[in-house]
Amino acid sequence: MTSTAIELFQTETEELISGSEAIGLACALADVDVITAYPIRPYDTVMQFVSRLKADGSFDFDFIVAESEHSQFEIVKHASSVGARTFTGSSGVGWFYAFEAITVTAGLRLPVVAMVGNRALDDPGAFGVEHNDALAVRDLGWMLYWVATAQEALDIALLAWRVAEDPDVFLPMALSCDGSFLTHSQAIVNVPTREQVDKFLPPYDRGKLQLHPDNPITIAPQVNEDWLMEMRRQSDEAMHRSVAKIKQAYEEFKEIFGRGDPSPFVEEYMTEDAEIIIVGMGTLALPVRVAVRRYQEQGRKVGFLRVKFFRPFPTEELQEILTKCKAVCVVDRDYSYGAPSFGGVLFTELRSALYPMEKHPHMLNFIAGLGGREVHVNDVNEMVDITQKAIDTGKIEKETTWIGVRD
Amino acid sequence: MSTVAVEVIYRGIFQRTLARNIVRSIVFAARKEGKIGTAFGRYGDSPERNGIPAKQFAVVADNAEELEETLARYEPTEVDVTINVDDTMCKGIESWAWYGLQPINQLTKANGTLIVTSRQDADSLIEDIHQKDTAFGLSISKSTVSFSGLWVYKDDHTDARILGTLCNVCPQLFSFDSMAQAMAEQGNDETKVASARRAYDGATTRQVEPGEGSSEVPFTFDLLGWQAMEEGLVIRAQGKGGGFRGGDEGFQPDRNEVFKKFSTRSMRPVINFETCIKCTLCWLQCPDTCFDVTPDGLYDANMESCCGCGVCEAVCPVPDCVTMVSEADFNDNSSQYEAWQEDKPAYQTWMTALVDKQKAESRTHGFHHIGGYAEDIAASEDA
Amino acid sequence: MTSVQDLPQIQGVKNIPLAEGYTSGHRTCQGCESALVMRLMIKAAGQRTIVVGSTGCMYVANTTYYSTPWVVPWMHTQLGSAGSAATGTAAALSSMMRKGKMTKEPINVIAFCGDGGGADMGLAAISAALQHDEYNLLILMYDNESYANTDIQASGSTPYGANTTFSPVGKEIRNMNKRWKKNTAPMLAVGHPNVRYVASADGSYGLDFNNKIRRALTIGGPTFIHSIDPCPKGWDYDPKFSHELGMLIVETGLWVQYEIIDGELTLNGPSRAIARGVRKRKPVEDYLLRQGRFAHFTPEDIKLFQDKVDESWEKWWLPGVIPVSMKED
Repeated sequence: MTSTAIELFQTETEELISGSEAIGLACALADVDVITAYPIRPYDTVMQFVSRLKADGSFDFDFIVAESEHSQFEIVKHASSVGARTFTGSSGVGWFYAFEAITVTAGLRLPVVAMVGNRALDDPGAFGVEHNDALAVRDLGWMLYWVATAQEALDIALLAWRVAEDPDVFLPMALSCDGSFLTHSQAIVNVPTREQVDKFLPPYDRGKLQLHPDNPITIAPQVNEDWLMEMRRQSDEAMHRSVAKIKQAYEEFKEIFGRGDPSPFVEEYMTEDAEIIIVGMGTLALPVRVAVRRYQEQGRKVGFLRVKFFRPFPTEELQEILTKCKAVCVVDRDYSYGAPSFGGVLFTELRSALYPMEKHPHMLNFIAGLGGREVHVNDVNEMVDITQKAIDTGKIEKETTWIGVRD
Repeated sequence: MSTVAVEVIYRGIFQRTLARNIVRSIVFAARKEGKIGTAFGRYGDSPERNGIPAKQFAVVADNAEELEETLARYEPTEVDVTINVDDTMCKGIESWAWYGLQPINQLTKANGTLIVTSRQDADSLIEDIHQKDTAFGLSISKSTVSFSGLWVYKDDHTDARILGTLCNVCPQLFSFDSMAQAMAEQGNDETKVASARRAYDGATTRQVEPGEGSSEVPFTFDLLGWQAMEEGLVIRAQGKGGGFRGGDEGFQPDRNEVFKKFSTRSMRPVINFETCIKCTLCWLQCPDTCFDVTPDGLYDANMESCCGCGVCEAVCPVPDCVTMVSEADFNDNSSQYEAWQEDKPAYQTWMTALVDKQKAESRTHGFHHIGGYAEDIAASEDA
Repeated sequence: MTSVQDLPQIQGVKNIPLAEGYTSGHRTCQGCESALVMRLMIKAAGQRTIVVGSTGCMYVANTTYYSTPWVVPWMHTQLGSAGSAATGTAAALSSMMRKGKMTKEPINVIAFCGDGGGADMGLAAISAALQHDEYNLLILMYDNESYANTDIQASGSTPYGANTTFSPVGKEIRNMNKRWKKNTAPMLAVGHPNVRYVASADGSYGLDFNNKIRRALTIGGPTFIHSIDPCPKGWDYDPKFSHELGMLIVETGLWVQYEIIDGELTLNGPSRAIARGVRKRKPVEDYLLRQGRFAHFTPEDIKLFQDKVDESWEKWWLPGVIPVSMKED
């Protein structure tokens, strides 16, 4: 992807771009109004890209380099309240610096779309991928999605504004993109036309909630114990409603753009008749898929289920798919010290989701790929072997295993 | 013995330490008799604001288990004794986190007692107090209202007198001797204990029958459910306001129907419309936007909104044009300008009488922070 | 760049507009000067204004669900976010109007903060906002010299030795807050050479206050006003003296009233008279001892204050404003 003026999306094109750049193009396609930036690796490649689009006259928006992540996220939150379509992002502890802004954005029901270039949390400083940064906000009302390819990054960014800005939803959404693999590596991406996007994405209209002199309102007055629970219930209801909205929007997306999976929430890969299903998020999908194909060639029934939307959590889909197998092999590219069974976040949530099922598969957790450590096919093999042993013996020796750690 | 609860209703900040002293003393005194207690403020009333009514509580029980029922709650469902340390609050209170006007005796149990510090007599107080379905006792602790600022406490023995009265009207709490002992242990000197004893010996209670008192229906609100509430934490703004009393001239802001603030005041301004020079200062400098601007350019302090700060009196350049007088002398929030328009001579007479009374009796916010208060103690007790 | 409104300077108190943008029923203390500041601010700005208010007394004691004193659109923002909130609001208006998504009109953007949220936590964000020449916005810092809403704690704008719940007067240590008050407005003026308007203000001078707001909103670009608000709760005095203390702090020279317009400094009111020698500064003791928060002050403490005030008028290069003087060769 060169930085010279592009053809402003008159025709579909094929570009060689990173996930960050794909999201940057999505911003331009969606005619985002305000973008705020603050430098931190690895997400900020997206900001370097959009600033170039602006400088070359390809994309008109207000671009503000904030003096901290907290301000960065506060700025777009307020821009969103006035009715501007917004985009921002961060990584690792930068995302945490904005935590206060992040939580109020959800409480205020503002459809900010943010990219999280997943990065390990300090200390020590490290740029490699871990999912803890985005996962930390899982309780607060943000929709959370884990992307696996640059194409998906572009497509789901468009879906993000569409769903987030739906007045029945009005919740912010974060797109998690693994650091390095999605923020820096380049892949072939189909870039749609502006016309296609306009069909899919209506303008952002805040209606009676817009902050403007034509609509005098007070937003977020102080509350005591008489009110807050009702407000939380409203957000809860909005998250409930988002499920149907996501489904509907995704169907429309597939119709207009001609690509997509059966479900917006999960991606199934060779899960039919699978005895062992590996579950994970993000780019670890790639080595897992390679491993799964090889297993299939050997006649072994191992499949893979990629969780895409983490919030709202696809409880129904996971129950339906995982009930069929004998064991679930959950790969966490995150940690949660002291959690039940000392397992990771995805494992803990998944186990809770499957609890009501009559028939439980065995569940095992593998902590892998932290700090940007690569996940290899032989790591997957190790996990599957351990899982197979649990099936064969009927016993789980250790619920949580750390993979690929030098002792 | 079952649990005994006491509430202290007070003017925020001004009487915060006073209230705290009272409720804590209750718990200490109960301890002398082997009982256990807790003291707490109503959380929603904090952070307190000058003058805005607030509540603190002391709850005493025989044992820890019994006490548990009151813990982890913001206020008890009912109290045995309500202590009101500013008689102007007898008209009802809009406390800081409350919605609507709460009668002063709202929580007072059937046959409980309301203790009020006041220089008024029982009949004039009862006129202000909202009717109840059940009977209760009214005991007046005769003294002026006691205010302090945040940093310097004016110890004029009001708390001692209240505690003495409390022992008299609520003997099931503890004996006077236990109270005296606890007071001494908490570092209070003999003169203070003596004040308490005088109050204990002299306290009288007047029975208030069901249906006695003010028949006004205090304003209330139904709280909305989550489905009726707007999304996005949004509420509609206040209206723009318009001409005076809906006419074309002057100006009258829209006023907040949900929190009126008039129960914050213990004094209110009375205005001499005839000497007013229309300098605009009272209107301009009022933090609460209280003044309605009349068509003839005069300023009418809206009594639903006035919280009695006294800045208008302080800034008015004309002597005796704006005078802060005791709120206790009023039964309603009617407009002075309208009263003056209706009958100017009558209004002038009425207003002048109030101003003269204020000069003679001097009800004030009345606190200062330097110097001792020994001389005030004798004066503030009933002469 | 978006346009500014036509808000002319008001000639005389009789011409102050009657319309109110901030009405009664807020839950502030009796005699709250910060509430007065809010009222005068929006009175001067008018109805085509968006106000963003950061956490503090003017949030918690103002808007309480479901009531609000605000007639104009108002939104809460975080304690340290006045600068970023102003920037975001202005950016959205600018972007959407330019791209034809919103009707073009000049809309005032005002973000306010207290001294804690502004001069302490939010200083970086305010500084960043003041660099955006392309946005018209006003940041108003109302200073009651403490974190007042949380029941009075020391902030970077609390005077030396003042009693607060984080600097209580104790048996061992009397003056626990040893920090000297930050000189915020001049700091921002000096640090942001393109900012066209920085001013100090005082609600006790109501007409002057109104006009400063209007000048800030019509001059173009980001602007900053620092108001001093006597606080009867935190400072401990009878609420009726709020107005008087607002004047006394200026008459003693402890607070200076001024405007810096396009790089030129003008003193206002009594400060101007003091600078010209037409008026003598009242002793700072007259001001300090009216307040319970200084009730513990000894003559030495008072002298320290007086010396500092004297120094700021007699030695500073720009008296009362810039604490720097040229070294003699």
